[in-house]
Amino acid sequence: MADVINVSVNLEAFSQAISAIQALRSSVSRVFDCLKDGMRNKETLEGREKAFIAHFQDNLHSVNRDLNELERLSNLVGKPSENHPLHNSGLLSLDPVQDKTPLYSQLLQAYKWSNKLQYHAGLASGLLNQQSLKRSANQMGVSAKRRPKAQPTTLVLPPQYVDDVISRIDRMFPEMSIHLSRPNGASAMLLVTLGKVLKVIVVMRSLFIDRTIVKGYHENVYTEDGKLDIWSKSNYQVFQKVTDHATTALLHYQLPQMPDVVVRSFMTWLRSYIKLFQAPCQRCGKFLQDGLPPTWRDFRTLEAFHDTCRQ
Amino acid sequence: MGVTCVSQMPVAEGKSVQQTVELLTRKLEMLGAEKQGTFCVDCETYHTAASTLGSQGQTGKLMYVMHNSEYPLSCFALFENGPCLIADTNFDVLMVKLKGFFQSAKASKIETRGTRYQYCDFLVKVGTVTMGPSARGISVEVEYGPCVVASDCWSLLLEFLQSFLGSHTPGAPAVFGNRHDVVYGPADTMVQYMELFNKIRKQQQVPVAGIR
Repeated sequence: MADVINVSVNLEAFSQAISAIQALRSSVSRVFDCLKDGMRNKETLEGREKAFIAHFQDNLHSVNRDLNELERLSNLVGKPSENHPLHNSGLLSLDPVQDKTPLYSQLLQAYKWSNKLQYHAGLASGLLNQQSLKRSANQMGVSAKRRPKAQPTTLVLPPQYVDDVISRIDRMFPEMSIHLSRPNGASAMLLVTLGKVLKVIVVMRSLFIDRTIVKGYHENVYTEDGKLDIWSKSNYQVFQKVTDHATTALLHYQLPQMPDVVVRSFMTWLRSYIKLFQAPCQRCGKFLQDGLPPTWRDFRTLEAFHDTCRQ
Repeated sequence: MGVTCVSQMPVAEGKSVQQTVELLTRKLEMLGAEKQGTFCVDCETYHTAASTLGSQGQTGKLMYVMHNSEYPLSCFALFENGPCLIADTNFDVLMVKLKGFFQSAKASKIETRGTRYQYCDFLVKVGTVTMGPSARGISVEVEYGPCVVASDCWSLLLEFLQSFLGSHTPGAPAVFGNRHDVVYGPADTMVQYMELFNKIRKQQQVPVAGIR
């Protein structure tokens, strides 16, 4: 994996240096050959000595030359770059046994995966924060020191105020009547009767709507001891469906600073169910889909749709 | 008690009553309805005894005493265009005691028996109408539980009826027309059955003793 290391090597000079080393080796071995051969047979002793010295000097010069050449080339080759961009993890790649310990490739994959995960998590949290389901008036992420010590005022309202708001809404629509009671402490429980179509039990928490249950007009909404039954579901599938839609509506209409506007919008939306059995679906034009009438009411336009027909 | 529509299904060409009932129930099962037991609605006719009729020659009135297995502890007594009384089952015993005023028309007992089907919030009852040993026709009753005001859900009921009755879908029953915003009750269903039985009785010209 030498390509991973960033080597700023002059490859030409590198190959030349290798051949220069070979040349140097051969000239050094020629020197020793010359010494081993000794003096050649010549007429006079001086002649032999001179020839020997001359030969020996030649060989030494060639060694010198080759050494200089090698030094020059080695300066050209340059050093491999000291700054590994991979630091310690790059060292893992240097001598692995790829089949048995694929450490470096696994390390790379794990790193890429965790990077992608972080990126996607960032995108998701940005999108989810746009559709906040928190219904309190507190802002998210406000530190404990900056959060006001007192509870937000919309959660602690005097019960008289709640009664007033509800009675005003009761008078708003002629076909809808709202009866308020407080059988379980401070939270109000409303029994809304809509024409002769349905009854809705609304459990509130100060002026926020907590839960709703929708039942038929002729179904029993009281338990055996005469209290309002806030738990049992309707016997009919259509009203079970409308209960689900009502729960969606109470999560949709949110305005933590002005809860009475929220209650008004919710009641206006609920009132559109007066024509539950009479209105055909705006999309397919039929009355029944899987045995159910159009149970969905659009939050803005209040038009009737089947649950499967809504956009 | 939801809004109910009772109608008669004509027997298919070249088929017996039994086969037509089977055709209907198969269509219902294909729609996705589940069988949920059986039902029975019966009707006995009484007419006012001659001794109580005044010298002006008032015509005697016919009274129908009906039972419905949907309300096993009740007994319904109604006049043709008059009020309907809902009493408990001891009323039958009472009728025996009132022999002097109301006389039972012999061999006038007519009943319909069949299976109940449940589809979503609809309760469908398909029954064979029999008078004595012979099968005279087919009754189809559809109840839509959640709604109690007749005028509200007639279009919805009509759509459902069309889905399995096809071309034999009936028109709106008479009881729906004259009462707007009045809560529908079991008495209205019994009035519809009474009208159906009378229609079936008139269809076959079998002389029934006791009827004027």
